Amino acid sequence: MRVEILSEHEALETSAALHARARAHVTAFEHALPPPEPFEALACDIARFQARAVEGYRRLCDARGVNVANLTQWEALPAVPTDAFKVARVSAFAESQTPTVFRTSGTTVGARGQHWFRTVSTYEAAAVAFGRYWLARDLAARRVPVVVLGPSPEEAPDSSLMHMCAAFVAAFGRQASASDRPRSDRATYVIDANGTLDLSTFDSCIAQSLASGEPMLVLGTSFAFVHLVDAVGKDTFALPAGSRVMQTGGYKGRSREVPADVLRGDLARIFDVDRRQIVAEYGMTELSSQFYEQTIFEPDAPEGVFAEPPWARVVPVHPDTLLPVADGDVGIAKVVDLMNVDSAVAVLTQDRVRRVRGRHGDRNHGPNPGGFELLGRAPGAPARGCSIAMDELLGGVGVDQALS
Amino acid sequence: MTVDRLSQPYSPRPDQVPVRPPRSLDERVADVQRLQRVARSIADRAQSHAFAQVLAVSSGLSLEGVRLALAHHLELDSPAEDLVRLVQAAGDCERVTVVLSANVFVGAFRAIALARAASRHVIVRPSSRDFAFAHAFVDAAIAAGDLGLSRVDTIDFKCIMHGEVHVYGRDETIRAIRAEVDRGVVVRGHGTGLGVAVISEAADPTRAAKALTDDVVAFDQRGCLSPRIVVCIGDEARAFSFAQALDAELRAAEVRVPRGTVPTEEQALATHYLATMAFAGRVWAGPTHGIGVAPRAMAPLLPPPYRHLHLATCSSDAEAEAALAPFRPVITCVGSDARALAARVAPPWARQANLGKMQRPPLDGPVDRRAPHADAER
Repeated sequence: MRVEILSEHEALETSAALHARARAHVTAFEHALPPPEPFEALACDIARFQARAVEGYRRLCDARGVNVANLTQWEALPAVPTDAFKVARVSAFAESQTPTVFRTSGTTVGARGQHWFRTVSTYEAAAVAFGRYWLARDLAARRVPVVVLGPSPEEAPDSSLMHMCAAFVAAFGRQASASDRPRSDRATYVIDANGTLDLSTFDSCIAQSLASGEPMLVLGTSFAFVHLVDAVGKDTFALPAGSRVMQTGGYKGRSREVPADVLRGDLARIFDVDRRQIVAEYGMTELSSQFYEQTIFEPDAPEGVFAEPPWARVVPVHPDTLLPVADGDVGIAKVVDLMNVDSAVAVLTQDRVRRVRGRHGDRNHGPNPGGFELLGRAPGAPARGCSIAMDELLGGVGVDQALS
Repeated sequence: MTVDRLSQPYSPRPDQVPVRPPRSLDERVADVQRLQRVARSIADRAQSHAFAQVLAVSSGLSLEGVRLALAHHLELDSPAEDLVRLVQAAGDCERVTVVLSANVFVGAFRAIALARAASRHVIVRPSSRDFAFAHAFVDAAIAAGDLGLSRVDTIDFKCIMHGEVHVYGRDETIRAIRAEVDRGVVVRGHGTGLGVAVISEAADPTRAAKALTDDVVAFDQRGCLSPRIVVCIGDEARAFSFAQALDAELRAAEVRVPRGTVPTEEQALATHYLATMAFAGRVWAGPTHGIGVAPRAMAPLLPPPYRHLHLATCSSDAEAEAALAPFRPVITCVGSDARALAARVAPPWARQANLGKMQRPPLDGPVDRRAPHADAER
């Protein structure tokens, strides 16, 4: 396949136009309008752009025998594996043109995955729109006090999760002030760079919100919440009525591992909230879109089923052929993310997923919504004896939206 | 104690351990030689299609893969000095419990021989996933008069108060067992590892590829000596030409010794690896193998087993050493066409072998010779 390679100027122009089209999807969603153009149209145009601007993607398309010029179906886009972000530069632009980088968590052997951004405005717009929709759409009239069980963006500047949390606060949140601190449009971060959980500040924030009767938003990783559970023991940190909790990510060996159902129960008890107010988010450093459980706003939504925004699709694919599996079967998650304009529009993860149909099909945002179920990472070496697995070499790695 | 299938977990009582005078070196060598004769009888038995088929199903290898392993990778003829080294490496204790892993099915012989060299009393727990060879071997040894040997299906490790436990398998398995046994029990962990091949600038690509293919095809690359990373000294063009030669040899090998069954999870890792390398470098792939050629200075990446190789290009021996540094703690074997090169990049504990002989270590001790460290022995 011969693909005409873009000049720097052409790449910038094309990228800007594609970003504008991507953001139009977000704007339409925010105004409850239908998407401005078919999903596949933008997906295929981004793939064509990336094949012309990203040498590795061009090679991948060649290896898969895909001629991007003829692409019409988003399902056919070759997906860039998450490991490629660790060993190669997955970007349409040179380092000097991509001022923001998010990194996956580090290990002793494996390199950290790096996701470079020429601009984060599209990422932020999408994250805020879909985050607000599933976490705080009923609180639009007021800014929600936010506590993050994580380090501040200054302490973890390359964490996509912390960047997202900061974007939430800027858009619809505010500081959950400890009494001795002035209010600001900044979350309260209760874990320092050394990973120490500041329970005293957390307690003060809750007390303040209780006094004012404001519901809070508590955001954190699963392992941070496990540390909280272990630190709190049988005590409770009852949150104000209407509060909600978002937990995300795997454990990466940073705490004991707790089944999702058990952790949800523990958090419901500690925070004295209904367990349906505890929402799991699925995101990855390599993506620009996130996925949420729908339990806060959809009475019929089951726990463990994630909704996609209209600008991203999660397809379970066969691990060998990479073709979509039959409806209801388990496959490896291939994510087509229209917000990944300058990196990889299709990403191949190592997470196992299964589509779940709602009463009206498997697309979300409706009564009894469908979506996809996350079944954890594909086990690396179930039948292996003395031959070492990459996971073992790395000391165990899970779903990775870096907290760093 | 000789048990076919125990309904209750094995849990020895201290008073069951008889006290006998220590065996001489010659006696212990003789015990190992007796086991060698038993191994030969098992290999002969596998001439029958039915038994070879049982081994194939149990091991996941193809029938040809099983026959290859029995013909070339079971240590049936060892010089006396190797057996003396094996006995000396084994130590001496009153009882050894051997916990076997899956995948290198003939590895059960070396593990049991090592345990038998160390003790009169050896209890073997075969892997529940790959038990056919170990079952047949222990039963044949008992039938041949080795009454110090027995096998069990389950073990209650909490009840082990004496002797040693030799554990083969993943590090987490070793840790779990170590946590259960009594503090007086020595747990010798033989954890996971990998082999590395280094191709010198002087190597003939076709000959080196042919020899390396023998190392890869054995056990479908699932052993801790199996080469999965190849360092090619020279420029990119040389690496490409070696990859091409290797691709051709692996295609030919598939006809002679078809690859066995690949678990879905491993297949997923292979697909992920090959797609990653298609993005980051170059890939040569056939229906049952794949070679990823990394560009210079790419971050380390480990391909999954089942005939997948990661080829890194290095301009010098020193660069090769640096490229392998992240893997150093888990390297168990370095194969090369150049002895001096292997010696330079190999960690002190690693076996060094000519290409084509990486999977045929002498019967002189455990295949994995990494020095016991705090976490490996107590």
